[in-house]
Amino acid sequence: MRNVDVIIVGASLAAAAAAKRLTDAGLETIILERKELPRHKICSGILSPRGHRFLLENFGPLPREVLHDPTWCRGVTFHFPSMVSMSLDFFGGSTPHLHRKYSDYWAIQRSGAEVHDQTSFVGLSEENDHIIVNARQHGEDIQYRARHVIGADGPSSPVIRAIYPDYPEQIPWFFVGQKFHGIIDCPLDHEYFHFFFNPNLGHYTWSHARDGQQIVGVGFKSGDNFDAKHKNVVRYLEEKHGVKLDPHTSHEGCAENFGPSLINRYVFGKGNVLITGQAAGFLNIIAEGMSCALHSGAISGEAIVEARLRNRPVQEVYRKMIASEVRRTTDQWNPLKVAFGMPHEADFRAALMKLSWAERRLVVQDIWKFIVLYKEFKWGRQIVQSALGRLSNGSYTQQRWI
Amino acid sequence: MSASRSANAVITNAFGNNAAFTCRTLNLDIPVIDIGTFPADPVAANSLQGIKRQQTNPKRWNEPVWGEFVLALRVSDVEIIEQKFVSGTFATDAGGTAYGMPHGVVIAKDAAQISTLLQAAQQYKVPVTVRGGGLTTEGESVAFGGVLLDMTGMSRVLKIDAENLSVRTQAGIFWHSLAEALRRQNLDYLSAPLNMTSSVGGTLGVGGIDVNSARLGCSADQAIALQVVTPTGEIVECSDSENSELFQRVILGYGQFGVITEATLKVRPYTPLAMHYFYYTSLSEAIADLQMLDANDVSDYSGILTMMDKVVNLLVAFDSDQRETAFKTDWLHRLRGHGEFGIALKMALYYAVHPWRWREALFLRERKNTLFPEFRRPEHMRNGKVVDRTVVFSRAVWKHWGSRQMVIPDLATSPEKFIDTVQKANLVCKKYFPHYTLYCVGIKLRADHAPHYEMSCIPPDAVTHAYGCEFEPMMGDLNADAMYSRDTLQSFKNEIYDIGVAVGASYYRFGGMMKGYIRRVFGDAVVDKHLAMKRKADPNMILNRDVIF
Ligand SMILES: Cc1cc2nc3c(=O)[nH]c(=O)nc-3n(C[C@H](O)[C@H](O)[C@H](O)COP(=O)(O)OP(=O)(O)OC[C@H]3O[C@@H](n4cnc5c(N)ncnc54)[C@H](O)[C@@H]3O)c2cc1C
Ligand SMILES: Cc1cc2nc3c(=O)[nH]c(=O)nc-3n(C[C@H](O)[C@H](O)[C@H](O)COP(=O)(O)OP(=O)(O)OC[C@H]3O[C@@H](n4cnc5c(N)ncnc54)[C@H](O)[C@@H]3O)c2cc1C
Repeated sequence: MRNVDVIIVGASLAAAAAAKRLTDAGLETIILERKELPRHKICSGILSPRGHRFLLENFGPLPREVLHDPTWCRGVTFHFPSMVSMSLDFFGGSTPHLHRKYSDYWAIQRSGAEVHDQTSFVGLSEENDHIIVNARQHGEDIQYRARHVIGADGPSSPVIRAIYPDYPEQIPWFFVGQKFHGIIDCPLDHEYFHFFFNPNLGHYTWSHARDGQQIVGVGFKSGDNFDAKHKNVVRYLEEKHGVKLDPHTSHEGCAENFGPSLINRYVFGKGNVLITGQAAGFLNIIAEGMSCALHSGAISGEAIVEARLRNRPVQEVYRKMIASEVRRTTDQWNPLKVAFGMPHEADFRAALMKLSWAERRLVVQDIWKFIVLYKEFKWGRQIVQSALGRLSNGSYTQQRWI
Repeated sequence: MSASRSANAVITNAFGNNAAFTCRTLNLDIPVIDIGTFPADPVAANSLQGIKRQQTNPKRWNEPVWGEFVLALRVSDVEIIEQKFVSGTFATDAGGTAYGMPHGVVIAKDAAQISTLLQAAQQYKVPVTVRGGGLTTEGESVAFGGVLLDMTGMSRVLKIDAENLSVRTQAGIFWHSLAEALRRQNLDYLSAPLNMTSSVGGTLGVGGIDVNSARLGCSADQAIALQVVTPTGEIVECSDSENSELFQRVILGYGQFGVITEATLKVRPYTPLAMHYFYYTSLSEAIADLQMLDANDVSDYSGILTMMDKVVNLLVAFDSDQRETAFKTDWLHRLRGHGEFGIALKMALYYAVHPWRWREALFLRERKNTLFPEFRRPEHMRNGKVVDRTVVFSRAVWKHWGSRQMVIPDLATSPEKFIDTVQKANLVCKKYFPHYTLYCVGIKLRADHAPHYEMSCIPPDAVTHAYGCEFEPMMGDLNADAMYSRDTLQSFKNEIYDIGVAVGASYYRFGGMMKGYIRRVFGDAVVDKHLAMKRKADPNMILNRDVIF
């Protein structure tokens, strides 16, 4: 059985960041990835400037191979049912449009850690001060022995399920799907990511250009019909925005754990098992999850290094250190921060101020109607409580973390 | 798309053991970027505006040639320690945020040994990171693979010349040991960092600022002559008159152009010092008074140490009764600061009308009660004067500022820009930390050393004086509620450094992030000029490679 310092589950961006910190500090680290690398990952690929800087500083300048076409994204355009549109440019200029298949592969490779792909985590057990990790590799059972395990395995995290089997039942699940279309005529500016605040379309509706095609995507509560929802969005885009598309050539979708960041209900693991990235619940506004995956991943790696060096319980160190990333992410959803602070990487208020008074009123009304769509999840009170706690204590309470 | 891979190659892990499992090497054919070159940004011309496309947290060097290199060293009788428990002690620096593991450690013995080491390192292209006290804060003295050269093995004082007031010493010596040796002959060094566990060599390479630097200049300017082992292994003596070009590059050169093995430094007769403190509630007033004292050469020591921006302490001290008396008659009445009683009264009034700030008031009181007596401990005082300045300062620094992580970004500007710069950076400190300290001090410049200052901690627009300020958050001990992640601390530092870019400052001991900021601050032309010199002196870029370029 292979005996190492740390096993990281999942070979994505959170994993690459954690692995970088661990291998730098000389800890022997293996990353397990279920799929064959380079692997496909459904994603719009719009990385915030903070995430871009993280990649640059830790892994080096991005090569062309890790980008789609267009290679950049200038910002986000919000479209409202009242037909007001507003564009927000990212601070500090355009950001990368990552090709996740290759960006993740590149970052993992640059992290310096050893990677075992086609190796799927299936469970773990504790044995004295070690953890035995069970996995399947090419249809065979394989075991690893590690001091620490990091679950960087994304939204439906098998590592979380191994330590909290009933967690998945406790949170609402969403389905997000996208289809790729040939373009006949598309007036939506290809330099922007387009987001539609329209409760009649879905919980999350977007469109953007990629490699000569147009992506039309929609997210909704698990259970609804993707094809119907998608068709509805295509029709809406054609009628309201003059977007004429060919029938789709391909499609994909996945489950999403949207919610924990809004209500400060993150999962950070227990004992020597740490959870990070989207598995822990990190998701920024407009579902930008890569920059917080990178930063939280790095913190999970640092926490292990610190804990070992100072001989402290790793959960204690991780939870103290991760508080800053929780602030960053949850601030993005905090109504007080949105109204009076500047939690995002683009200036929403400035864009709003460019509109006329009448338009501003429409926008606020439309946003409110869109928020009402989320009423059934009963997040409202939790968001207000978190926001008030943040105001009085300067931070979000650790008590709600799992 | 050029994704390719070779099947079933054995991956070698970080410690050279062959992995027990076979797995594919992952290869996305990405060309290696030469140090100091900047390929065009494939994202967009306007992405990450102003930020150089450069990896600043270095990739760990890990090449199979290591084994051969070690053999070559052994044959030449250079001992190299590969045990993990030895290299582990060098895993980080005083900053405590950057971690790196050398493959092996060489403890410095003499110039000949270092010469052999560097020649082999050139031949096998193995990076060598030099370390003195390891008091850098951004990982400059951390080895990201390769060799760590521990200079503390060379720490003997070679010769004290009391007549001509100079000392020849090995460069790995800590300042406190040097001070001890000098005190036995009633001598003292000129200026050194306030923490005394930094080495002479490490300090000459980065700057060295003391509370008397406004009068005596930075530590690097005290060096009369050096013995240097160049990156290709030549042992060279240099000074202003001998091999002066090398001397110019090595002084304030961040270890890029050679390993300093010996140094001849100016020294002075020892004197006890008489201290005075003045307290301000306004940063700008305190700085203006500090600059007035410095400009008129009123005191022998001067500096500012704050408790946040609430209580700003101007420290003024004298080597002689004569100068102290002159100060009292001519200058004292011009200072706007209060005495201890005055400031206590003022603060009491302030918090009486700001009762919700009680936590801050408690912090200040606690700080005052524990810190102030530290500067006048009876065992270090005689006749009201401080007799052991080195001990008093370094003890206070470590006891009251030291923590697990030392995050001390700093800025150095011309005198004119200083107040504005400090005020801007003060706001950044406030935003990030409930408690912090600022430390401000003047640095006298030597007109004849202008070539030394290019691309150093001395800002390009400073002529006779520069001013440095460092920003030190109080982060508490291991049990503190807050523990800061590296990236939080990095964003704090970045915000401070960004001010430096905006105002055209330098960084006073260039505490850090040189790599990410040096081009933004000095411009490509100057940096490329130094890079060309570096390439010439160090063809394989082996010496302290991740620090600047
Ligand atoms: C449609 C869509 C669009 C998005 N658009 C954006 C966007 O534009 N910008 C943005 O920043 N974010 C976007 N996101 C979110 C973003 O993709 C995620 O937040 C981010 O990838 C999370 O990174 P991670 O490292 O935490 O985990 P993931 O990227 O989810 O990676 C988890 C990894 O774990 C592996 N894994 C899973 N199970 C196992 C197992 N049992 N054993 C071994 N390995 C396993 C997976 O194969 C995968 O490689 C989008 C998400 C979706 C679904
Ligand atoms: C708590 C604290 C307080 C401080 N206070 C001050 C202060 O008051 N004033 C001040 O000026 N600075 C101060 N510093 C900064 C610190 O003193 C300087 O960074 C110091 O000069 C570094 O000396 P060192 O021996 O620790 O060098 P190191 O940190 O070991 O090395 C510094 C750099 O020089 C290189 N180097 C080291 N030795 C040699 C050599 N012999 N030849 C060539 N290159 C070499 C290293 O590779 C590295 O790049 C403080 C730092 C801390 C942590």
